[in-house]
Amino acid sequence: MIEIKLFIISLLHFTPPLLSKKQPDENLLNIEIKKKIKEFNSEVNFCKASLYFMKKNWDSTLVYSMKQLSTTNNKDLIDYCYYFRGISFKQKKLLNEAKKELNTISNNFLFYYKVRLSLGEILLDQNEFKNAISYFQEIEKLPEDVDFGFKRSTVLHNLGISYLHLNQFDKAETYLLKSSELQLLNKDTIDLIGSYADIANLYYVQYKDKQAIPYFEKAYRLSKTISDFELKRKAALNMAVVEENRKNFLAALTYRKEYEQWKDSLNDQNKVWEIAQFEKKHAISQKQKEISLLEIENKLKVAEMNGLFYSSILLSLLLGVGIYFYEQKVKSNKIILAQKTELNKLNTTKDKLFSVVSHDLRSAVNALKVSNTKLSENLETKNIENLEKLLQNNSAIANGTYNLLDNLLHWASLQTNQSFFNKESMRLFFIIEQIAYNYKPLMFDKNIHFENKVSKNDWVYADQESLKIILRNLLDNAIKFSNQNGLITLYTLNRDEAYCDLVIEDNGLGMSETKRQELLKETMLLSKKKNEDVIGTGLGLQLCKSMIKKNEGRFMIESKEGKGTKIIVSLHKNQKNG
Amino acid sequence: MDNVNVLVVEDTPTDSDALGELLLTNEYNLVGVASTYAEALSLFYKNKVDIVIIDVFLNGNAEGITFAETISVVPNKSKPFVFLTNSQDRQIFERAKLTHPFSFLLKPFNELEILYAIEMAVEKFNNQTDVFLSEEQDTVITNEYLFVKKGRALKKVLISEIVYIEVEERYCNIITEKEKFVILISLTKILKTLDTTKFCRTHRNYIVNIEKIVEIIPADNLIILTGNRKAILSDKYKDFIKKIQVLR
Repeated sequence: MIEIKLFIISLLHFTPPLLSKKQPDENLLNIEIKKKIKEFNSEVNFCKASLYFMKKNWDSTLVYSMKQLSTTNNKDLIDYCYYFRGISFKQKKLLNEAKKELNTISNNFLFYYKVRLSLGEILLDQNEFKNAISYFQEIEKLPEDVDFGFKRSTVLHNLGISYLHLNQFDKAETYLLKSSELQLLNKDTIDLIGSYADIANLYYVQYKDKQAIPYFEKAYRLSKTISDFELKRKAALNMAVVEENRKNFLAALTYRKEYEQWKDSLNDQNKVWEIAQFEKKHAISQKQKEISLLEIENKLKVAEMNGLFYSSILLSLLLGVGIYFYEQKVKSNKIILAQKTELNKLNTTKDKLFSVVSHDLRSAVNALKVSNTKLSENLETKNIENLEKLLQNNSAIANGTYNLLDNLLHWASLQTNQSFFNKESMRLFFIIEQIAYNYKPLMFDKNIHFENKVSKNDWVYADQESLKIILRNLLDNAIKFSNQNGLITLYTLNRDEAYCDLVIEDNGLGMSETKRQELLKETMLLSKKKNEDVIGTGLGLQLCKSMIKKNEGRFMIESKEGKGTKIIVSLHKNQKNG
Repeated sequence: MDNVNVLVVEDTPTDSDALGELLLTNEYNLVGVASTYAEALSLFYKNKVDIVIIDVFLNGNAEGITFAETISVVPNKSKPFVFLTNSQDRQIFERAKLTHPFSFLLKPFNELEILYAIEMAVEKFNNQTDVFLSEEQDTVITNEYLFVKKGRALKKVLISEIVYIEVEERYCNIITEKEKFVILISLTKILKTLDTTKFCRTHRNYIVNIEKIVEIIPADNLIILTGNRKAILSDKYKDFIKKIQVLR
């Protein structure tokens, strides 16, 4: 039972030396490594491996040293790399790999003794005590007065432990004592506790309780001064076991309790560590959450931006459409305005026309009425001579009024586009004859000489009815504005291939240039004519112009005041091809 | 030469009176005056009518057009007609136009206008436009009659009464059993329009009614026709005898 405990204790004891020995001697090595870095600063992998080695980042060191090994032939660098790898493996407890790496290092390596030391430690770890002893002894033989960057006490201690395991207690005692003396000198408390504990164990194993117990107590006392829970716990445990064996159970119990306490402290520390870990994790998850939140926010922002973008496009589109419709509206408004003014103009013309026409009709009918009264008076007095004159007067008035009404009717049907319109080819001569036939008595009255000089072979392509209306009005005008014994001639000019120009010529009153211009205007002329006794509104001529236009003809006036008028109507000769 | 028979369909007495007078003074025969659709139909079928003058509106309805439509669809009975109307209503005219051929006249009309309209109707009906007003011809040939313009009036000649036709430059002498007169028509047109089973060309200038032939004397290049009229037979056209021999 005791032996088992001993083993536990001794095994546990040789880790602290390994850890603590690093601190001072590392500097020497580090200085040398820094020198090497400067020397080989072109070897990137080496530099990195060295830096990671110094930072004790073992994995990275392994990686870069491997890389460096595959590219370099420099023996010095190779040794360093193997050393880095060996130490790294050893720290990662891959002891066999570490041994392999360390063994490949050549004897020329500056820190070859460190290699041997490491090898010894590895062997010790693997319980190959004899081999370990040979390595440690090699190190022990190094001169004592030179600083090699490692603790001699540790080496001695390790030797002692090795002998202890081999049950060579004498040698173990000497080495351990030597180591404890050195540690006492160096005030290396932690190592000293280990040494004392080991010495105590040494005696204890040999049942030299009296010698062992003071060492245990010494270790225990020293352990109180340090903060390492592990050591405290072991010291307390050792004391508890010792007291137990001495049957001093009360003391054993107190030590046990202390041991439990240190163990709890250790657990607490672990818990703190765990909590820290947990907090870290928590913080990380918090951060993760924040990140995801930010991501979501980002997504939202992107969505928002997209939304803004599309809505802006939509808005601009709407704006464009709106502007387009607005412009259309403005345009149509303009058109409507123009149409309105046009309509207003037309309406006033129409109103004027109505008033003039009604006035004319009224006066005409009134004249007829007056004439009729006269007629009946004369009939009563049997004044037969006057009767004929009055009748002639009456019929003239009736004729004029009829013509006006006829024109009015045609005008109305033309405006509403209700009249039948059918163009055909016809001989102009005969149409003129038919129209002139009605005016024969009128011309006879005025003793007007009428001549239809149009050739029978002159053809026009027009609507017969509208042509008749045109001719009627123009002939009527010619008669109206002719003097007694006047001359009216109709003839054609063949100046154009496509058009037949009909000229209606009289030697009557004629008209001024301004009057002529007025007559040719598109607008209705509503002024009274020069010879007041003649009824007229200008409607007849206006009708003529419209009809000619509808027949795709042309209308011209040539006139000299007092000399006569030529009215020229141009109509298509033939049906237009196509 | 006979006068042309005209039927007037008109419900306004003043207009029909004026029309009748006008037609008579211009040597037309007035067959009758109808004032309703039914009357017009009975008059039309009872008499030999050459031309109909129709008022579009009878008693306020467009019965005139209906009448025109009725006589137009009867085969071999349709005659040229002239529409008379007060209004220039487009719809009425569009309907009247469907009874093609037609000629129309707006009231009030004068003598010249009605004569012109009648001539136009005859021309259009027989698809021989621009005849009566031209200086080159004055005759429209139908299946039954020759319509010849004599002065202002239109005369008709029954084609079956023609014995022979003698061509003289632009003129043609028409010799019937009763009379002899000159018409203005081109030889090509007369040859084209006359019925070739009844009329044969026997000489450059002679066209003979086969039914009027009494005797043919090839030796003397002579054809004796009824009424002891004679036509010349030239060698070039002797072939026509074959036809007659077949007939005999």
